[in-house]
Amino acid sequence: MTTSTGSGQGLELKNVNKTFADGTTALDDINLSFPEGELTALLGPSGCGKTTLLRIIAGLESASTGTLILGGSDITTMPAYQRRFGMVFQSFALFPHLSVEDNVAYALSISGVDKTVRRKRALELLDLVKLAPLHARRIGELSGGQKQRVAIARALAQEPRLFLLDEPMSALDAQLREEMQIELRLLQQELGITTIVVTHDQREAMSMADSIVVMSAGHVEQTGSPQAVYSSPRSSFVASFIGKTNLLEGVVHDRQVEVAGVRLTPSSPPSFINGARVTVGCRPERTILHTDSQSSDQFIPASVKLVRDIGPVREVYLDADDRQLICELPSAGATRLSPGDAVRIEMPSEALHVYPRQESA
Amino acid sequence: MSTHARKAPEPVASVITKPLPAGLQETASSEPVMLRPLLLPLLIGATCLLCLLPFALVLVISLGEKIEGAAWQWALDFSQYRRFFVGLEWPDSVSFLYSQKLFYSFYYATVGAVLAVTLAFPFTWLMTRQSRQLQTVWLVVLLSIVSLSEVFVVMGWDVLLSNRSGLPMVLREAGVTGWLKDNGFFPLLREWGLANPRDLKFKTSGFAVILTMTYLVWPYAVILLFPPLSRMDNSLMEAAQTMGARPMTVVRTVILPSIRIPLMGTTLLLFVFLLGVYVTVSVFAAPPQQTLTLSIYQSIRGATLNAPFGAAQAVVLLVSACLCLGASHYLANRSKSRS
Amino acid sequence: MKMKIIGRLYMGFCLIVLLLPVVVVCGAALNSGRTMLFPPQDPSLQRFADFFINEQIWVRSLRTSILIAFSSAALATLMAWPIAYRLWKFDNRWSRLVAGLTALPFVLPPIVFGVGLSFMWAFSGLLGTIGAGILSHALLHLALPLATISIGLNAIDRSHLDAAATMGATEQVTFRTVILPQTIAWTISGFLFALVLSFNEFIVMFFVSSSSYSTVTLQIFNSLRNGFTPTMAVGAITFIATSALVYGLVGRFGDLPHLLGADPTNKGS
Repeated sequence: MTTSTGSGQGLELKNVNKTFADGTTALDDINLSFPEGELTALLGPSGCGKTTLLRIIAGLESASTGTLILGGSDITTMPAYQRRFGMVFQSFALFPHLSVEDNVAYALSISGVDKTVRRKRALELLDLVKLAPLHARRIGELSGGQKQRVAIARALAQEPRLFLLDEPMSALDAQLREEMQIELRLLQQELGITTIVVTHDQREAMSMADSIVVMSAGHVEQTGSPQAVYSSPRSSFVASFIGKTNLLEGVVHDRQVEVAGVRLTPSSPPSFINGARVTVGCRPERTILHTDSQSSDQFIPASVKLVRDIGPVREVYLDADDRQLICELPSAGATRLSPGDAVRIEMPSEALHVYPRQESA
Repeated sequence: MSTHARKAPEPVASVITKPLPAGLQETASSEPVMLRPLLLPLLIGATCLLCLLPFALVLVISLGEKIEGAAWQWALDFSQYRRFFVGLEWPDSVSFLYSQKLFYSFYYATVGAVLAVTLAFPFTWLMTRQSRQLQTVWLVVLLSIVSLSEVFVVMGWDVLLSNRSGLPMVLREAGVTGWLKDNGFFPLLREWGLANPRDLKFKTSGFAVILTMTYLVWPYAVILLFPPLSRMDNSLMEAAQTMGARPMTVVRTVILPSIRIPLMGTTLLLFVFLLGVYVTVSVFAAPPQQTLTLSIYQSIRGATLNAPFGAAQAVVLLVSACLCLGASHYLANRSKSRS
Repeated sequence: MKMKIIGRLYMGFCLIVLLLPVVVVCGAALNSGRTMLFPPQDPSLQRFADFFINEQIWVRSLRTSILIAFSSAALATLMAWPIAYRLWKFDNRWSRLVAGLTALPFVLPPIVFGVGLSFMWAFSGLLGTIGAGILSHALLHLALPLATISIGLNAIDRSHLDAAATMGATEQVTFRTVILPQTIAWTISGFLFALVLSFNEFIVMFFVSSSSYSTVTLQIFNSLRNGFTPTMAVGAITFIATSALVYGLVGRFGDLPHLLGADPTNKGS
């Protein structure tokens, strides 16, 4: 009956759709697999459906169509209380009428586990999140970070087959957030439990996850390791949502892209027909700034708006083709730049990405 | 993709990997099913029925036919309403006896409700600006008074207005009565029913009825005005003050407009409450100035014993009350959709 | 500054007028004679002994009052729970309609409900029984526990229910372990409100008791033709003290301003 291996199981979603009663589509044909023992981040702007997806996985909401398979068995219609998934909520959802210890032992106490056994286990779990001394406190007496640790311990108490976290850091301040990200990642690695974290913070996703699922408007934009998603974003949305990207509009001509009167040559030629309207993107740290006046007309003309020196790097904000671009340079040995200076920018072929243009954007 | 270390340090991992305690896997389906799917809707339906049936009976019986020297029988007879509005002998002669009672019901209720709201508004405002603890103390006092039986309130005011130990005695001892006499105010006071040839008297008088009614609903008015006023943001007033508004101007231009609808809604609710007042009227009002509630009792239980007619009077009261509640509901919805 | 003083004076004036009848009634109870006089003459506690011990008529009606108040408040709370729960759980047109209908007896003039009840009990042959009296008061005051329980239910964070579900709790277990513990204070408040109002209620009982039993308020009204007496004043004191005690308890252990509609987060100035 019990799975003594303990480390969760892989989860697979097949053709999951969700349409709300008012007709809006929250999720559009989601196909994902969450490998056993890995931490996957569901990343996207608010309203993209990532929380709905997590709630469907938890069984708190049901998919309109589609199948959920956990470790080979179909759990689509299994109610939440039978799934044995540990979940940490955005607001932590700790019960104010119970003590810290009783919150952690809740899952055990409602299933009739002997009092001394569940007490021992609750203390072990609280020890795991370094909160054992506070076991008798009331929830109202805890700080935000302590509440989160209790919420994590509570979710782990029933030895979950899957560990789900919904925006777990959003209630914490910036510094605490950083600490908890590291701590949560360490804990997850130690336990080897299959984990899904929902977040809108790309830094958080990149720093914690084995793989990232980028979502937008109810569908999956891209999946992959943080590095893969960052270095080769598959759409202009992903490019701008994961880190910063300079985006300019262009038109395809003979395997080249004409942007602001300048022809750029991507290293991997675009598979667009001539005359197709596209968006080109290039990361700020790969964009090169040319200040010398006789630089090539293969570069896009721009004017300097603002210069920000942030420690080791200098960010130059530019106006080009009515768009704001950012160029990241090393601070050391930078030339003088002041607002209004005319410059030219180069988007190197190997760093240039071409996407179909999204007309709505 | 899985590059991280999977080798967990033993002591930490053991917390999770040890077999589950027995019993955890048993889902709690053996719980006593408190929310059985059919039992509850049935119970709720029965409750609704019991709440509505009395009103339905009043409506139906008001159309019944009174049998002389006996009780009454089912019928579809509107004569009780005719009797109410124009008298039994209509069209030969017209009697407004019961319309007049209805008028007094409305008159007392209107004056009482408006007075109570007017007096309660500044008080509630001041109260909501106090600390939460002090507010709680006030609310305890107010709730105790508002739930005090009408019987006890009337008892208190009866003593306070009695000739021997109440207000007339105080005024007499203070010389106010003599002064009023000397300056020729007595004829006027007698006309208003507030004096007899020798002394001031407040029982029975419209003044005593209205005073007691206002007292009855004043705490109720405070409790109803409490939510909107306590939710009013202090920064709103402060903003007005920084723009040069004097305190009274703030009240007139900021506070009053923003709670105009709660004020009207409260007045309507108090009006409905006062329509049902019984003991106050029976003790403090002279017979010609008594209200419908008394004659309803007379018809149902008292001397005249005419159930259909009592029911018809109750229907008139019910319809008036429903109209007011509907109006206050409408006001509340409008203010909600506006904000 | 001047405004502040005027404000204080006004509040003081309100408090005095508010307490005046209460003080007078309490004082009059100390009269040793049979007439209500204030200030009391020859003060004695004889009337208290009369009310609680000597005069059977008062002892009996006090016992009836207590019986009806406790039973009807308990019944009202029990009837209100499923309605409030459904309203909170589903919040659809039907549940709102049900909540609105069950609040009608409380918001409409009680005399109309009293007349209707007297017809209803007369038809069912229960007019004048204590059971009918208890049920009448329960229906009349159903709106109070319904309101307080609804406030309490709405104060529950819905993610608590999701959290319980992910930890293996069925709807029934969630109800017992999460919903009930978090609403128990509100339930008790509703019960107490119904209790106090039943204690003091007069007009509905006037119609449904049909002179076969009487509560204290009824008994006082029935004895009115002899005028008010100091013994009645003792009854009044008992009731005022009970109300103050009950609301004091609610105020001490609950959040009375929130219960009456203030913002729960606004802690006053």
